[in-house]
Amino acid sequence: MKEDFKGHPYLANSQQDLNEMMEYLGIKDIEELFSDIPDEIRFKGELDLPFYKSEYELIEAVKAKLSKNITTREVRSFIGGGVLDIYIPAIQDELLRRTEFYSAYTPYQPEISQGTLQSLFEYQSMICEITGMNVANCSLYDWATAVGEAALMSARITKRNKFIYTAATAPNREAVLKNYVVGANLELAAIPYDSATGKMDIAKAKEMLDDTIAGIYIENPNFFGVIEDELDEIIAKAKELGIKVTVGADMNSLALIKPPAEYGADICIGEAQTIGGGPLNYGGPLLGVLAMKFDKRETRQMPGRIVGITTTSNEGERAYANTLETREQHIKRERATSNICTNEALVSLSCAIHLSLLGPEGYKDTAETMYLSAHFIADELEKIGVKRVFSSEFFNTLLLDLKIPKDKKKEFTDFMLERKIFPGIPHSFDGENYDYLVTTSYLLCEEDLNDYVKAIGEWRK
Amino acid sequence: MYRQAKYDEPLIFELGKKGRKAHIPPRCDFSRDKIKIPENMIRTTPPELPELHEGEVMRHYVRLSHMNYCIDVNTYPLGSCTMKYNPKINETLARSEKLMYMHPNQPVETAQGILEIIYELQVALANLAGLKYTTLQTPAGASGEYCGLALIKAYHEDNGDTQRDEIIAPDSSHGTNPASTVMNGMKLIEIKSREDGRVDMDALKAAVSDKTAGLMLTNPNTLGIFEDDIIEMSKIVKEAGGLLYYDGANFNAIVGKVRPGDMGYDVLHFNLHKTFGTPHGGGGPGSAAVCCNDLLEPYLPVPTIDYDKDKDYYFFNYDRPKSIGKLHGYHGNIAVALRAYAYIAALGFKGLVNTAEQAVLTANYAVRKLEKLDGFRIAGGKDIPRKHEGVLEATPFLRNYDVSGMDIAKMIISRGLHAPTVYFPLIAHEAWMVEPTENENKDRIDQYVDTVAEEMEKAKADPDYAHHAPTWTSVGRIDSGWSIRNLVVSYKILKDKREKGEYVP
Repeated sequence: MKEDFKGHPYLANSQQDLNEMMEYLGIKDIEELFSDIPDEIRFKGELDLPFYKSEYELIEAVKAKLSKNITTREVRSFIGGGVLDIYIPAIQDELLRRTEFYSAYTPYQPEISQGTLQSLFEYQSMICEITGMNVANCSLYDWATAVGEAALMSARITKRNKFIYTAATAPNREAVLKNYVVGANLELAAIPYDSATGKMDIAKAKEMLDDTIAGIYIENPNFFGVIEDELDEIIAKAKELGIKVTVGADMNSLALIKPPAEYGADICIGEAQTIGGGPLNYGGPLLGVLAMKFDKRETRQMPGRIVGITTTSNEGERAYANTLETREQHIKRERATSNICTNEALVSLSCAIHLSLLGPEGYKDTAETMYLSAHFIADELEKIGVKRVFSSEFFNTLLLDLKIPKDKKKEFTDFMLERKIFPGIPHSFDGENYDYLVTTSYLLCEEDLNDYVKAIGEWRK
Repeated sequence: MYRQAKYDEPLIFELGKKGRKAHIPPRCDFSRDKIKIPENMIRTTPPELPELHEGEVMRHYVRLSHMNYCIDVNTYPLGSCTMKYNPKINETLARSEKLMYMHPNQPVETAQGILEIIYELQVALANLAGLKYTTLQTPAGASGEYCGLALIKAYHEDNGDTQRDEIIAPDSSHGTNPASTVMNGMKLIEIKSREDGRVDMDALKAAVSDKTAGLMLTNPNTLGIFEDDIIEMSKIVKEAGGLLYYDGANFNAIVGKVRPGDMGYDVLHFNLHKTFGTPHGGGGPGSAAVCCNDLLEPYLPVPTIDYDKDKDYYFFNYDRPKSIGKLHGYHGNIAVALRAYAYIAALGFKGLVNTAEQAVLTANYAVRKLEKLDGFRIAGGKDIPRKHEGVLEATPFLRNYDVSGMDIAKMIISRGLHAPTVYFPLIAHEAWMVEPTENENKDRIDQYVDTVAEEMEKAKADPDYAHHAPTWTSVGRIDSGWSIRNLVVSYKILKDKREKGEYVP
């Protein structure tokens, strides 16, 4: 131990403790325990790492750095794209700060982990209620990785190696999908969308379907916010051909829109940050949803942990435990269904608490506010001649036809920022001009929406 | 004495009644009549979510929390999991409004504060790794492994070595190693460990070929033993044209003592939720950092977070034509990374070195004391010092008294202590993998060992007592077989079974 060691709040032992342990081990210096590391590779220098001598200095320093940020609460945010600003009730964070939950490990010893296990079972159950499915895993990293896992799972179930998806998939999710399927050597193809409606081109999709395809992925509402309402035929055909249908759904939209299980999806994925998983946190941690229709064989191909009801050996009491663990890497190693180990468990608990607080009424109410706010903007902007790129029905996201030239983009951002607005996600079809993908949360009041309309109007002048 | 709380706590669905309200969300005054979902797409049955008042939601989850063991209750010496104290200041910092309410798609000029912290963390981690570049996009250790191996694969492909698709790993490796290898479309070549637990150099020499993509090796290994032939290993693999991957799950042992880059590794992942003190959260969220050298830098996931010194400006760099692409929808688990930054900044370099030293000393002390108990023996070379963990085998105890390593684990759970990682690594029998970390003082370790000794004595006298452990926990010994046979994995399935009159506990 360094001579200058004077103790630290994160280190349990005093110099006397250390001396006593060394004496027991028959060593004079802790260095002796590192003596088997070849000298030539030992690090002998000192690294210049961030360091603050006291907790007070640390908190002040971090706060000073963070103060340069501008938050979605300091302006009015119209940004969605898969994650959304939500309100976390005080009770939710109070519960999440219970160390019994957050400082516990994965429940590998179920007898002393019933709290984590039951809450994860409840989360899975709530996801089933929302998606209409009857089995959900207890989390994936996020929606984007869920697309990748759904593709791999479809391939395992069907033993086929082609996967198709709609071109109206969010670019970040498409990027992760492309990465995830490299190892399994899946062939990908994108189904085009109709340039007027923004909906999937059904005729083209039908042409693309055949019995060599493992799965099809449809976002609904899609990345542009458009509700896909003509899926019956294509899903029926997919089923005929033994193709697994995955729907990626905005979890809030499912308060108003039919759950994917009811229109034929086999698998439903999405992002549960938006239904209470947690604050935005600059994009992580998030909470990937993966749910499916129960099938004895196919459910065994699911990735990630699943909690089930079980019984105690001696008393026959109800208990909860990780189940189907033989799918997982710590047992199956190279034959596991996924490499996922650490997941997003605490975010799942958070989401379960949030949904318990909202109840069916609050869940629907917030979705209605999102819907109505987006439609208010669309209607008001139309009055001043600003159109949507696609004409179809939508939920809370619309693509505004702004066509802002590349070299004016920064100016537009600044212009809106001066008016305390994050205007949405810039999206370009031609790489030159930018439309804006606008999403409404339930945190915006009528005045905010009016200000947005006004600001766009001013910009156009 | 230990008595864990036990409630017959119903599922939250069963606690509610229609019309009870727990929260009033903000609501706009627009007329609800204006909602027009295409008719064939309207939801007709609302989801059956719980309906309770706020106080009852609180009670339900507080009760559940009482039925959970955690690091802030007592020792949690899970080998390879590094269950250390989660500093409370980090929880406070992670709840800064200036972080929570940041959208990943907001203009980058409005996110300079968090990007500065992430950038500083990238640099700090690269320095600790002895490598140059870092990405924090990977949300967990397994994702980090996937990323690192993908970099290796991309490197070989870029060099025209498309036949290099074999990853060599010892049979003592973490389960994620082979799983991540296969997810990358590569083959795992498993090599046997020597009697003392280290890599068999002859086996390694025999395994390398012009198909070798790389060697994946944690160091110290899962027996807590430092692979002292690492320089030679590095030579063998590199001469064969392969690269070296460092699984950083065990990095707590060597922080500041020896750097993976200096050992010859080309790429690694750190688990921020292990070495850098962020909470495990009952299974997650974690966060990984992947660090690499110049060879692999071109392939890092997009975007990298870079710094323009002249403009004093942090930005996302998408201009990376050789990149493997994206591994997360956004930039990884930023709120976890912030905690890790605060952890590093609270300790500084010297503090981190002290951490490794205390972690190693407590592990050796615990393992050597446990080794002396009748029924345990140490796995791997007897005289080799351990690093952050060590593995005991309860084989003699099972043979002599018909009581297994798992039984002993369950017995100490009855005493209010967490069991070590059991039955891993697979090269040990009746394994007890012990990692106290620097969070346990000598008194706690003495208590732990004394308790294990007492319980083993009880088991000798009454094996049946051991087979029925644990007691005083929320529920008794669990039969997970029932769950696998019946797969009641949601409230929906539970309701179906009840309707059909089928038995559910």
